[in-house]
Amino acid sequence: MEKKDRGIILSIKDVNKSFPGVKALDNVSIEIERGIVHGIVGENGAGKSTLMKILSGVYTKDSGTVVFDGEEIEHTTPIESLNRGLSIIYQEFNLVNTMSVGENIFLGRFSEMHGMRGTHAEARKLLDSIGCSIDTHTLVGELSAAEKQMVEITKALSFRSKLIIMDEPSSSLTSDELKQLFSIIGDLRAQGVSIIYISHKLDEIFELCDMVTVMRDGHVIDTRPVGELTRADMITKMVGRSIEHEYPERPHCVGETLMEVRSINTHKLHDISFELKKGEILGFVGLVGAGRTEIVRAICGADKVKGHEVLIGGVPVHIKKPAHAKKLGIGLLPEDRKLQGLVLRFSVQSNIAMASLDKMRKFGFIDASQERGIAERQIANLGIKTPSPQTTVLSLSGGNQQKCVVGRWLEINPQILIMDEPTRGIDVGAKYEIYVLMKQIVENGGSIIMISSELPEVLNMSNRVLTICEGRITGEFNPEEVSAQTIMDSAIG
Amino acid sequence: MTKRFDLKKFLLNYLVLVAIVLLVIITIIVEPKFLSGDNLTNIMRQFGPLSFVSLGMTFVIIGGFIDLSVGGLISLVAVVTVSLIDPLGQLNALIVGVLFGAFLGFLNSMVLISCGALTQAEALFITYGMSAVYSAVALIYTGGSTQHMSWLTTPQTIFTAIGSGTVGIFSVSFIIFLVCLLLLWIFHNKTYSGRSISYTGGNKVAAELSGIPIKRSVILIYTICGLMSAVGSIVLFSRITTAAPIIGKNYETNAILSVVVGGTTLKGGKGSVLRTVLGVLLITLMSNCMNLLGVSAYMQVVLKGAILVLAIWLDNRKEQ
Repeated sequence: MEKKDRGIILSIKDVNKSFPGVKALDNVSIEIERGIVHGIVGENGAGKSTLMKILSGVYTKDSGTVVFDGEEIEHTTPIESLNRGLSIIYQEFNLVNTMSVGENIFLGRFSEMHGMRGTHAEARKLLDSIGCSIDTHTLVGELSAAEKQMVEITKALSFRSKLIIMDEPSSSLTSDELKQLFSIIGDLRAQGVSIIYISHKLDEIFELCDMVTVMRDGHVIDTRPVGELTRADMITKMVGRSIEHEYPERPHCVGETLMEVRSINTHKLHDISFELKKGEILGFVGLVGAGRTEIVRAICGADKVKGHEVLIGGVPVHIKKPAHAKKLGIGLLPEDRKLQGLVLRFSVQSNIAMASLDKMRKFGFIDASQERGIAERQIANLGIKTPSPQTTVLSLSGGNQQKCVVGRWLEINPQILIMDEPTRGIDVGAKYEIYVLMKQIVENGGSIIMISSELPEVLNMSNRVLTICEGRITGEFNPEEVSAQTIMDSAIG
Repeated sequence: MTKRFDLKKFLLNYLVLVAIVLLVIITIIVEPKFLSGDNLTNIMRQFGPLSFVSLGMTFVIIGGFIDLSVGGLISLVAVVTVSLIDPLGQLNALIVGVLFGAFLGFLNSMVLISCGALTQAEALFITYGMSAVYSAVALIYTGGSTQHMSWLTTPQTIFTAIGSGTVGIFSVSFIIFLVCLLLLWIFHNKTYSGRSISYTGGNKVAAELSGIPIKRSVILIYTICGLMSAVGSIVLFSRITTAAPIIGKNYETNAILSVVVGGTTLKGGKGSVLRTVLGVLLITLMSNCMNLLGVSAYMQVVLKGAILVLAIWLDNRKEQ
């Protein structure tokens, strides 16, 4: 409290925001100092995104004050915020793929730059200032996720931003790219730019941030220097109870062979054969694009693949489409929950009941009370936070959305559940709950194939790991006996 | 605060009702003839064929597709059915006509599926092509001439009843419509197949991965649309007692207009046959009122276009 106002770039005081049925922000107050990296952590639905959207002008606050750079801001729009010096870099980038890097950085401001020549020259200067060597004439569509992020940062700098908010900036970066991002953030901090860094990954918060604010259920739980908190403290504050471990104890329920897959061959996959045992969690490790998703899609009949064999309990089965897989008790939790998992405009209830409705029909009719029962059971069972079963699933947080898809499959009592990136974009508390669910599934006699880009979770949850590289299975490991490095080497090929 | 919010939501959801009431009030003030018995019967008759076609179209649009073939389909069903009355007898001709319409709808879905065309845009062009085929077949079949029911030797009591019979104050076609409406509402809201159609329109990929039979949904929606269009076709030629090979012209656009104005989203997934009834009512009343008020036919087309744009705009406002 001793810090004087000149040190504060952004002051948020007693801000409230309600949506029908939900109090998204409840008397939220945060102060961001100049020239520091301020982390904001919290579970899904904690109110982080709502707060950012109020700052950028997408939402209007119900009450409270926001003071940015000494000026009180009542109503704002995204472009006004930018001009004031407040930029937000969202997880989904706001870039035009069909335009060049330089054009994207100065989009709509070409005349201020005195034409394209000036635009590219100025863009070059800015890119150099963060040590980025991308050619300004390259089309943004050809860039990697990391490079796009550089362009976003450069764009923020071009507005002479005093505060840059980064929402989950690391979700699509490799570890090398992450290091580069961190060094850029360090440079910006040295130049006096403040950064708000929103992330689920606590390691990053500890490595990067000076201050951290923990939010939960629309409240600010705590704001303090990062050094004063331990990892366990932070998790406790985030989830409101202490979590001893990030992972539950590894289940050991492996039994007889349940499914055999023999020689899947496509233009992308080469001679994929493996076995899955009853009660086993089998992890697939590999880089994005190695063919992990294609293998499970082939098994489920989601992609048309011929010539391979699948045996369940020693009996050959023919799975031509996902409906066949479902009949055999195989469920697929797809990697992109918004595009492939959910019907976003439908209710939580319709989404949960989606896979099991056909089982409970009588003469083609759906029993409405049974459908409601399914939804209520899974909402209670999985602790899905929703105002009602009729709420559109679109308005739920990522973790709760994912639970809806999991609940959908639990309702058919799957003997094999294939989970493709089951914890992508959801936070520590929700992740832990998903892990516990996985454990319960195998303890109840189910089997799981788990695909994940997060090596620690595969290694901590799986009984056995297959490494996949360029469409081939390159190794089989017991993660309890082999080091992570060995497994990664095998996955990289 | 909450009260204002509710009012806004109500208006967005039930704007069609508000529009219908306003339209009726204004027309009554300007032209009291609107309330005459003749005019009300007239409205009920005009309501007929379009309402059947629109009910079918509702399912296609909820399923995330579109069907431009109904214009040609109505023409073809009409000329074929009329030509079958003499050789088959009127009841058999009626049944064959309805089944023929369902078959043509089924054919549409098979063409779509075998082309692997599972987007609305592809469906738009394919069914546009199918419409041309059906229209052409209707012209070839009749040699381009209009079929007059008065030329037939078989008695046409059933068709006369469908076209102009009444039970009390209701026309027979209106009663048939209510039965179809009830059956289709139950089908959509209470059956697994009906729900599958909604899931298919809501998110095809997610539906397929969850084991929802999306191909069956596609077959169902087009078959239902063909069937309902055939019923509409029969109601239409029974009323005017002639079947020209271009009798179905413009029905596809008016049906889509009614469905969308009723509040079923072109994005697929959400919608209802009950909403479509309101949409048809608005479009029918609009035509009737504009005729009474002496609005030119060209201007009427302009206004219909404007209403469609407005309906889509409103639908997108609702999303926010």
